[in-house]
Amino acid sequence: MAVLNKKKSKVSDEVPTSSMADIAFLLLIFFLVTTTFPKDKGLAVVLPEPGEEAQVSQKNILHLIIQPTGIVDVKRGENQQVQQMRPQEVEGLWRQEVSANPNLIAAVKTHPDAAYKFMVDVLDALHAANAERISLQVLEN
Amino acid sequence: MGMRGGFQRKSKASSEVPSSSLADIAFLLLIFFMVTTVFQADRDRPITWPEAGAAEKIDEKQKNILNIWMERDGSIFINDQPYPMVDVSAVVAPLYAASERALVISIRGDREVPYRFMDQVQKELVAAGVVRVVFAAQLEQSMQRERR
Repeated sequence: MAVLNKKKSKVSDEVPTSSMADIAFLLLIFFLVTTTFPKDKGLAVVLPEPGEEAQVSQKNILHLIIQPTGIVDVKRGENQQVQQMRPQEVEGLWRQEVSANPNLIAAVKTHPDAAYKFMVDVLDALHAANAERISLQVLEN
Repeated sequence: MGMRGGFQRKSKASSEVPSSSLADIAFLLLIFFMVTTVFQADRDRPITWPEAGAAEKIDEKQKNILNIWMERDGSIFINDQPYPMVDVSAVVAPLYAASERALVISIRGDREVPYRFMDQVQKELVAAGVVRVVFAAQLEQSMQRERR
């Protein structure tokens, strides 16, 4: 019977740890791959410095007046003639106008009751047309 | 093992690469990345984003971006705290100075908010001396754009 007691089991009494590294690396790689840093997206504008007021000749201004309905009234400088369009159409208009006058400034005047999204739509169209000189104002009176 | 010959002697050094510490290294890396990952400090407010096709990624470090949330009724939240409109300039100015004028303000407005509130916020930011502002928007797919 002494022989039976001395017999060694062939099954290891240790927990197999060789695959632990694989599991850990798998987790590591999984988290590395799935971690996405939410990069904010948006339309960048540069605000004027306080007290900064630029005098611009009326003929270099394209007035874009955003009505509460989302319709954009376009006025060119002194010209009282008003052209109405949808915000998406501003992109084509700007490309056309700026090729005629490279010094053009877009004066976006939004009605106080107009939804913010309409202003974003117009700003989006101007950005899409690579406009850089944009002035954001609220429509007074 | 008998002494059958010198060349058959087994070396006492293991011929295997020691892999027991591999798990420690992996876990160390795992914990390191978990600890160093910083998520946005402020929680998202319930707003419906405006959409813009020309929206671009903000080219600035996360710590230099300050979110100003504006809900549909025009109420303002900065760092999870509600503020009245007139206080925005006083709240932003010291943060802007602390960042050495590197701060970018991300205005996260609800798409339906009346523009008068947006205008007031912009005037407050100009008063605080802020120059770089981003109107945060969701990227609009060109498919949607064509359908409109």
